[in-house]
Parts: sequence; structure tokens; C-alpha cells
Amino acid sequence: MFAAATGWLEKSSAEIDALNVFPVPDGDTGTNMLLTMRSTIEEAYRAPDRSASAVAHAMAHGALMGARGNSGVILSQILRGLAQSLTEKESLTATDLAGALQESAVMAYKGMSNPVEGTMLTVIKDIATAVQAEVAGDDGDVVAVMETAVNAAGESVANTPNLLDVLRQAGVVDAGGQGLHTIFDGALRYLKGEMEQMRFRKPQIIVTDMHATKLPQMIAADEIPYGYCTEFLLKGEKLDTDKMRKKLEKKGESLIVVGDDATARVHIHTLEPGDVISYASSLGTLHQVSIRNMDEQHHDYLEIQKDRGPAVDTAIVAVVAGEGLADVFTSLGVTAIVPGGQTMNPSTKDLLQAVEGAASDKVIILPNNKNIVATANQVQSLTEKKIEVVPTTTIPQGVAALLAFDYEANLESNIQIMTRAMATVKTIEICRAVRSAKLGDLKIKKKQPIGFLDGDMVVVGESGLEVLNKMLSKLGLSKVEVITIYYGADTKSAEAEQVASDIRSRYPQLQIEVVKGGQPHYNYIISIE
Amino acid sequence: MTVKIVTDSLSDITDDLAQELGITVVPLYVRFGEEVYRDRVEITTDEFYHKLVHGATFPTTTQPPPGDFIDVYKKLARETDEILVIAVSGKLSGTYQSALQAKNMMEGKCRIEVIDTLSVAMGFGLIVIEAAKAAKAGANLDELADLVRKTMPRSHLVIYFDTLKYLAKGGRIGKAQGLMGAMLSIKPILTVKDGEMAPLTRVRSPAAGMDYLYNFVPGFSKIEALAVEHATTPDKADELVERLSLLLPKARIYRSIVSPVLGTHAGPDAVALTVLEAE
Repeated sequence: MFAAATGWLEKSSAEIDALNVFPVPDGDTGTNMLLTMRSTIEEAYRAPDRSASAVAHAMAHGALMGARGNSGVILSQILRGLAQSLTEKESLTATDLAGALQESAVMAYKGMSNPVEGTMLTVIKDIATAVQAEVAGDDGDVVAVMETAVNAAGESVANTPNLLDVLRQAGVVDAGGQGLHTIFDGALRYLKGEMEQMRFRKPQIIVTDMHATKLPQMIAADEIPYGYCTEFLLKGEKLDTDKMRKKLEKKGESLIVVGDDATARVHIHTLEPGDVISYASSLGTLHQVSIRNMDEQHHDYLEIQKDRGPAVDTAIVAVVAGEGLADVFTSLGVTAIVPGGQTMNPSTKDLLQAVEGAASDKVIILPNNKNIVATANQVQSLTEKKIEVVPTTTIPQGVAALLAFDYEANLESNIQIMTRAMATVKTIEICRAVRSAKLGDLKIKKKQPIGFLDGDMVVVGESGLEVLNKMLSKLGLSKVEVITIYYGADTKSAEAEQVASDIRSRYPQLQIEVVKGGQPHYNYIISIE
Repeated sequence: MTVKIVTDSLSDITDDLAQELGITVVPLYVRFGEEVYRDRVEITTDEFYHKLVHGATFPTTTQPPPGDFIDVYKKLARETDEILVIAVSGKLSGTYQSALQAKNMMEGKCRIEVIDTLSVAMGFGLIVIEAAKAAKAGANLDELADLVRKTMPRSHLVIYFDTLKYLAKGGRIGKAQGLMGAMLSIKPILTVKDGEMAPLTRVRSPAAGMDYLYNFVPGFSKIEALAVEHATTPDKADELVERLSLLLPKARIYRSIVSPVLGTHAGPDAVALTVLEAE
């Protein structure tokens, strides 16, 4: 019967994996349950005889040793409860089964230090309740009990998203609960003699009609409360430490009871220190009582960390021209983009609007152009918000500063970190001369490609590639690792790729990236870091 | 009687160190399809990374079942009456749960305490080492548990990732989600915060990543110990160790390897650095 259930589970383990979002969304619940059941079945065949008791105990042992993942562990607790309840039983009546399932539910809850509803635990509990009601009416047969169990499991699974936020947000039912339903369903079908049909069908996956409100990533279990660290010395007569330990076990975590019949030391992490103290004071006199609030300690620790400066509340506004470059900045976490750059400087008002619109009272501005730095600095005096400007004068400097942003640092440290990072990058910009001119030794014809290094014009050439190569050869590239080429709106991607492959062949040790920046004016903006 | 220290394989405690300090390491499991291996016991790190990069199936990982812990507890209970289990963050693995379940199923006099360190790799491996030394020196279970809890906030872990691909596939990306989907190739640097992976910053190249790790160290005024770990790039990690030992000639620097189970999520080329601040 359980072998059939395992086979049934195997058919849907992948679908169950896909439902897995809690407690760790690692998508392996179905597989874990399947492997646990396999180990369970293997052990069942090794049972010394075919009595219900022997088989159930063998299965419980197999599950315990083979338990994989949280779901497997809970499954093993369920089987342990089943086995305990069936001890000494030769065969199984409907009442036995109902009683055993009740024990399973109790054991499953007992096993978890922090039971969460809307999971397998709820499903086994609902099953146990339903079958109790079924046998209470009259002593039905085992098949009827299983049928009740499967129906109850189905309803319970469908209800899990109502109980657990993580599931509701992801728009799925609980994977472990689904696995449990499948196991019971498989067992029922076996009991009904449906082995033939099972070969050609797949188990039903219960769907929720709720839709995902959030991506199923990065949702972790709610924090487990820490409670109070409670410690005291108990003096009395004929103290029974074993009995005390049993009594206190359910009161909390990390329980320690040591001593003899006259003196006992007790340590427990509990949510209800009062209960613990009043129980203990009924046994003797209390000494050296200490109750510390661990949530507070934990909270204090978090506060200390906060002082060290989480920067999640810092917004970054960047001045960028070109769709591709805007995408680059956005993908790296910029809050707002103000369009602008060379020949199209934004106004103070434009910047102020972006700053005011940012959902944070601390804002960093990346001007990315030397003509915009001053404008950005003006914003400081026009708003209540705390504004800092990292004086980036080129797009690559802006990217470098943005990348270096430290999520754990406070605003002041971030300004330092970003300003330092900005200096680690060199920028080459190549455009075509708008008119003929003579600058120092350089004679420039109209429309001739000219190259700037960190804002200073240094090279004139016949083609963009020639200008670039002249500039690269002037730079010492021994310490350079990454070259990123952002090509402009008027430049063809084939040409940019040609430039890139030319550099690649000449400097094979470098990592070269080509990105469509889509910027006006500059054919190429090149970051060298 | 000496308290016995138990940890899991995510602590990246090397076999030599485990033996020297009497630490019992319970392995997690790494699974490629239906082939299951005990972390570092049945699969070497080299075999593992070869399979990770070249194999067709993406591996998954699971905590040890409570039965594995029960076996260890029973064995140790013959030599001691106090056991301290120091486990990887419960938000990254169910190992802590398994150890706790096993504890609740134990009968007999042996006292067992299980602590969730909210960290991973040498981020809690260094805590395990501190505890094992104190246990050897004769500290009792309560003192050790207290030591571990007090050491936890002093351990600072930074991991350089070559890619976030593996972390995302394994469902443990946590708050580093925001680093995905950048249009440039970036190398994220993460830490653990409240037991989950969280972003620190990003760099563009491996060398810049190693510089970041190097510069992370002088941020602490008093240093107890350091740990450097690699996945597939021992040279990079060795070079970092060399630079750090010039910076801090007296500091003890532990050298280890990112275990396959963690490697499943960190991917090849990851390098991890842990700073254990002095009190």
C-alpha cells in the first residue's frame, strides 16, 4: 500500500518541487519526500514479520534514517507517530488507523521547534480530525477512513495559502502538504484496487485560485521569536530533575536542568518565564533568578548594526542620456534617471524634481558630466532632504561609483567609497568634430573623429578605430582588466563589434564588453578599469 | 568530561583541523539527479566542481536527516555527557532543525545544546574552532554555549561570487535578488545578514574582487583570526592570504575550501573571507 503511494508520489515529485517556496525556496520538496518514502519502503520489507506493528516500526526507522529536507523530517515524525500507536497490533482496524493518524499529527507538531500553520503539519492535523469524526459515527472500514483522509487532505492543502502568507504571495499551495495528499491518495487507490489505472494516470496537483502577488523568491520564514533567557537555582527536598525536565520541555528551547534532589540549576529560553518560575517555586525556593529579554538583546544588536549604517534608504539619481545607458544605470540600482549630458544639460529644477520624487530623504546625485556638477551641487540648498553629490564627470565614472555603492555603509562612507571608485576608471570618449579648429598642436577638420581622455581632447584620426587605438597605446594597459564599450545612437552595432574584436585580438588578456548605450553626440564612450 | 563539539560540513572545517581539535563534522548531502553524495565524504571538491560546471544536471543539497545526528550523539554519548552542536544558519539550511529533532529524540543523560549561528562557511567555522579550543581547555556546556552566542556578532563573512547564477538556482539568493539582471557583467560581493545572503557591493573583475576582500580586513581594529576559502581558484585565495599575512604578520589565517554543498550555491570561482574580531 505504501509502496503504491511512493510510486504515485514519484509521478508528481517534479510538480511538487515547483511549488516549494517555504521555508527555503529551493524547489526540492517532492524529491525529498520521494527519497524519504523510498528509504521507508526499503526498511518496511525488512520488517521481522508482517504484523502491522513490525511493519510500521520498520517504516518509521527507515524514514528517520532516510529523512531528506524539512518535509522528509516531518514525514518521518508522522510515520513515527503511526508506529508508536500501532505497537503490538497484529492488523489494522479503522479505529486503529484513525487513532494512529491522530498520534502522527501530535508527533509531527512535537517534532518542530516552531510549528508553522499552512504546511504539512496543518494537513496531517486536518486529516486526523476528519478521520476521528468518521470513526466516531460507526466503526467504518479502512477504505472509508482513507477516503475521508484523502478528502480532508485535499481541502486542507487547498486552504494552505490562506494560512501562510508566503504561499499566498507566490500563488501556490504548500508543497509538503501536496506531497502528503499524494501519498494518501496513492494508498487509497491501492486499497481500492486501482493499481491498473494508476499506471496510466498522474496524481492531481491541487491548484489555488489565488494569484501570485510577489515573485516566489527571497521570501524567508518569519523570524522565530527569541523570548526570555531564564535561569535560576532551585533548592528543595526530593527534587526530581527528570520530571522537571519533562514538565519544562514544552515551555521553551535550550532547556537545561542539572543537579541532585536538593539543588537544581535550570536554564531555559522561553516566551513565558512566569509559568516556568511559578512552576519551580511550587517545588522549593528560588535563588539567583535571572530573566533576560533575548529579543531585546537581538534588537540591540540590530540597532548597533543600523548605526554602522545600512544604506537601503539611500536613493541615487543619475544624469544619463541614451536609452541603453539609462538601462545600465537602472539595472545597477539607480532610483531615478534625469535625461541629459553633453550639449543637453538638465536644469537645477529637473534635478530637484527627481530628488523630491525619490522615496527617501537621503539622495546621492551622479551628474556624469563636468558641466552638470555645479548644477547638482545647487540642489543641496533647495531641499529639506540630505543631498550628496559624487562629482562624476563621465558615464564610466558614474558606473564605477554606482557599482561601488555599499549596501551596508552609511551615507558618508558611501560618498567616500564612491568618490574613490570613480577615480579608478579612465574614460575615452570619441565623437566627430562639429567644425574645423586648431587646438594647440592639433589641427581638426570638420567631422573628423576626435578622442578625449577624461575630458581632455588628445587625439585626432581618420577613423574612430584609429583614434581609439592611438589612445589605448598611449595608456599603460598592464593594470587594466575590463574595457566596456558603449556605442552611440548613430553608430552601427557591427562597427562596434569590429572595434571590440580588434581590441580583443591586440589585448587578449582583457575582458571586453560591448553595450548599446544609445547616447547622442559620442560615437563611443569607453570605460577602462 | 570534555564537552564534544559537533558541526555540519558547511562550516568548511578541514579534516586535519577537525581531528586536531576533536570536532565531529556531520556532512550534508549533495544530489545530482538521483545520485546522492555525502558532502566532502563521498565526493571530493574537485570531482564536485567538475560535475557542477560540466555536468548536465544541476545539483541540489539537503540537510542531514535527524538519524545522522542521532548516530553521532549516541557515539559521542559513550565518551561524554555534554554535546554542543554548532549549526549553519537555519535560514539557509534545515540542518539546525535536524540536529534539534535528533536532540529531542535522544534518551539518556547526555545534555545536548544546538545553536543556530546565522552564518555559513568559515563565518561560523571560526566560531566552531573557538568553541573547540575552549572545550579542550575544559569549559562546560553552558560556558561554551555562551561563548558561541557572544562570538557570533564578531564573525564577519564576505564572499566574492563570479556569478549569482548558482545562488539564484538554489533558491537562496535572499536580499541579493537586486543584483540580478544587471546589464553589465558584474561580480557580486555578498555577506550573511540575519542568517540570509545579503549584498555588500559589486565589482567588475576578479582582481577588483580580491582587492575588496583585502580592504575589508583593515576595517576592523582588533582581529582574532582570519579565514580564506576558495572553490576552484586556489591561486587567487593563496595570493590573498599572502597579501593579508604581510598586512597582519601575527594574525592566524585559516585556509580552507568551500564545501560542495555551499559550492552548489556559490558556484565555481567563489572566494570567501571571514574576519573574526577580537573582543
